[in-house]
Amino acid sequence: MSPGNGSPAVCLGCGCACDDIAITLSGGRIAAAANACALGLAWYGDGSVPSRVTVNGVPSARDAAVRQVAEAIGGGRAMVYLAPDITTEAQREAIALADRAGARLDSATSDTAAIGILVGQRRGRAAATLGELRNRADMLVFWAVDPGTRYPRYLSRYALNPSATHVTSGGRAVVAVDVGSARGPGEAKARLALAPGDEVAALGLMRAAVVGRDVSELPAPLAAAADLARRMAQARYVGIVHDGEPGSEPADPQRAEGLVALAQALNGPTRCALSSLRAGGNRSGADTAMTWQTGFPFAVDFGAGFPRYRPDTPASAALGEVAAVLIVGSPEGVPPAVVDALAGRRVAVIGPRASEAPFPFEVAIDTGVAGIHEAGIAYRMDDVPLPVPQLIPGPPATVSVLKSVAAMLRAGAKGAAR
Amino acid sequence: MSGPERLRIVGGAVHDPANGVDGEVRDVCIEDGRIVAAVPAGAPTLDARGMVVMPGGVDIHAHFASSSCNHARRLLPEEHTADPVRAPELADGDGPSRSGTGGTVPTTFSTGYRYAGLGYTTAFDAAVAPLTARHTHAELDDTPVLDAGCFALMGNDEYLIRQIAGGEAARAPDYVAWLLGAVGAYAVKVVNPGGIEAWKSGQRNLTAIDQPLGSTKVTPRAILETLADAANGLRLPHPIHIHCNSLGQAGNSATTLATMQALAGRRAHFTHLQFHCYGGGAGAPWSSAASTVIDHVNAHPEHSVDVGQVMFGPATTVTADGPVEYLLYSTSGRKWVNIDIELETGCGIVPYSYKEKAAVATLQWAIGLELFLLAKDPWRVVLSTDHPNGGSFLAYPALIQLLMDRSARDEQLKRANPKLLAGGAIADGLAREYSLNEIAIVTRAGPARLLGLSRKGHLGVGADGDVTVYARDADIARMFSSPRYVLKAGNLIVEEGQLRRAPQGRRLHVRPGFDEAVLKDVRRHFDAYSTVAFDNYAVRDVPGDPVRIGS
Repeated sequence: MSPGNGSPAVCLGCGCACDDIAITLSGGRIAAAANACALGLAWYGDGSVPSRVTVNGVPSARDAAVRQVAEAIGGGRAMVYLAPDITTEAQREAIALADRAGARLDSATSDTAAIGILVGQRRGRAAATLGELRNRADMLVFWAVDPGTRYPRYLSRYALNPSATHVTSGGRAVVAVDVGSARGPGEAKARLALAPGDEVAALGLMRAAVVGRDVSELPAPLAAAADLARRMAQARYVGIVHDGEPGSEPADPQRAEGLVALAQALNGPTRCALSSLRAGGNRSGADTAMTWQTGFPFAVDFGAGFPRYRPDTPASAALGEVAAVLIVGSPEGVPPAVVDALAGRRVAVIGPRASEAPFPFEVAIDTGVAGIHEAGIAYRMDDVPLPVPQLIPGPPATVSVLKSVAAMLRAGAKGAAR
Repeated sequence: MSGPERLRIVGGAVHDPANGVDGEVRDVCIEDGRIVAAVPAGAPTLDARGMVVMPGGVDIHAHFASSSCNHARRLLPEEHTADPVRAPELADGDGPSRSGTGGTVPTTFSTGYRYAGLGYTTAFDAAVAPLTARHTHAELDDTPVLDAGCFALMGNDEYLIRQIAGGEAARAPDYVAWLLGAVGAYAVKVVNPGGIEAWKSGQRNLTAIDQPLGSTKVTPRAILETLADAANGLRLPHPIHIHCNSLGQAGNSATTLATMQALAGRRAHFTHLQFHCYGGGAGAPWSSAASTVIDHVNAHPEHSVDVGQVMFGPATTVTADGPVEYLLYSTSGRKWVNIDIELETGCGIVPYSYKEKAAVATLQWAIGLELFLLAKDPWRVVLSTDHPNGGSFLAYPALIQLLMDRSARDEQLKRANPKLLAGGAIADGLAREYSLNEIAIVTRAGPARLLGLSRKGHLGVGADGDVTVYARDADIARMFSSPRYVLKAGNLIVEEGQLRRAPQGRRLHVRPGFDEAVLKDVRRHFDAYSTVAFDNYAVRDVPGDPVRIGS
């Protein structure tokens, strides 16, 4: 159990956000994390994080570092970038900072999971919290993803958990749709193999079959897809599971559109929810907090004095417009394309292991990891908010450091006004 | 602060119907954030001579701070792009203000600023899935000015349905009490009782109150009676807040009346009644059933309503009522979000627009006005647009104008599609015009009383110093859209029509006592079926003191 409130801890190692982790502490370190998967165990480690403050590679007083951060983001065009492993409370403070500075604001989402969100903004979506899949889905279709790889407990906790309100464990049909080398889980009792070039056509045909169009006389793989669609339409509650994050091989950008449309269409003859797998570290929380504070889930520009949406310019491209960037969160969670685009910019990092960032930086202020050293809210991949505890003491909290930067920024602005 | 510790608002025409004051010219005194009988002669003053003084507005039913609202925000980037909101220039020393975006579902800071700009100081989000209440409280933390709370959705709760099905409805009061306290909610909300569970389980919907849920004996009637008795037995400050079955369907007034009759003798609040007052159906054209339904309300003092007025223009329909949103999606072809929420409820969203040339939209507009104008007791008929479902809360001033000025109604009628209006009261020419005092009742005093907020909605000694001062204007909509002064807990937040301060509001929530024996069974239910651990479910850090009820 976690120290403090006696509640089980919440692992942010992936978007599953398993909240049944029983932590054992020894000597102020995490000695065991029962129920955690291998990914979770690696995420917790023993809870050790550095607690350094550096400016230009030299240890610094925090106030001086904070001043330098404020000067960097207040001195010209800047970006505030939300990286993983911070609480939503810290995300809110970081968004406020971007608003105050008239900066660009973005998160890991714009270079990773943006495609699915943009489809959702064009079409809407049919979705569910993970418990609905567990409790109701008598048919689960894994589309080009085996959750066991990057979301190790998704199957056991959410998809195939035998304790359910409306379906028995033997009553689930589990289907894998393998697209090229992107294969579904081994637990599937039925499989459909599609060549990557056939995927989008198959999704269109499946949708046509669901709404009752004549889709006969098709070549074999597409005929099998249409047949699968008809079976889906006869199930009571269908869960379609896909990976919202980019994989090792690029997927057809129209996959997300096809899946969203298919899931919506299935709600005519039956019920269906699309489950989009998301990575951990409270990435979904960044989308959520940005939406309630700005109206947009990522790619925001405060340069005009109010939020403007720039979804056509992900962070990796938008960095070309700025002179300085403040990364808030774990630098190791920054996508490679964004890391590449940092070159030539003043870079400050406030977050867990900031001082060990795998890219050049000017200022680093180490803070704690959400759910290990910092308590607050973090969101599961399905946007369910969870309370993450502080398990052990750590470096200064991200929120308090950000508040110091904001205060410095305000003081600077007042000084300039005088 | 933000404002003087003492203040005398001088010489306004005060409309404080809860205290029997109807336009009398008098001073209103505030000390330490509360209304007092008098302040010393040298206290600072605010000149309200020639102006109208009312308590701060109280919104009993809106959707502005919830997971569902945020899904709606995410769905509407085009609206937000079209309505940017710069950070207001607050008075020096009052902290930084925030920019945002508007549209039908504004961002949190903009929501607080805009409510304040209308003179509203208290509001409730009317539909929060308990599982996501933590999110609502985080949004409310970022919604300035408003004293605010939320209603917890319970009408499709898996645990409750199981208790009713198993003959264990006696557990309901303890479960309801625990759930309200656990998630920091203020009242019990029932949306389409049993119908959302039917939508999720393949039955699609329940449209009549004695229609059983699946193969069980659970009916909407059983759910309603169980929850009404629980809320009333617990002596909650607000009774169950009911969104009836069959919302938005032709002929649904039969279901609405059956629901009201089922709860006759029990305190209950029926929300956005306009959406539940349709005649016709089964081949007959849509028509108004407003007069029949409001007759019931007029005759039953234990029942109250808010109207859910439709205003012509853009809206966003956002509701837990998943099946009705699917229907709207399939008939409108607009984009659509559905999110099933485990063990509790659902969420549906479809952006919409009410067009004055559309016959059904015009009928909806007329029905809302008929409900207002045929109501005999304004204390039980609250002004709402079911923001953002019938229109934005920003449309309240225009709605007030329609209520106060028959000529404005007639002008609108000339532009509207009259096809379905024949036989309705509005077409027959309702002459009634609301007085300022009646407006003060339906926007402040009435909702405050119905919510059990003893310090809101009036200007008597001990009330919160929430005061709105309007400059008189022949253009009623303009008068109510831009108050000259607004005070929140004695702080002058709007000066000369400009937002100058944006203090954090209070959280309004209840914590009824209950027999903790129920938790053993609830925990077992969580362990078996919930993906969130029982110990991680409650929201532990809801700000402010709850209203404690019972032991």
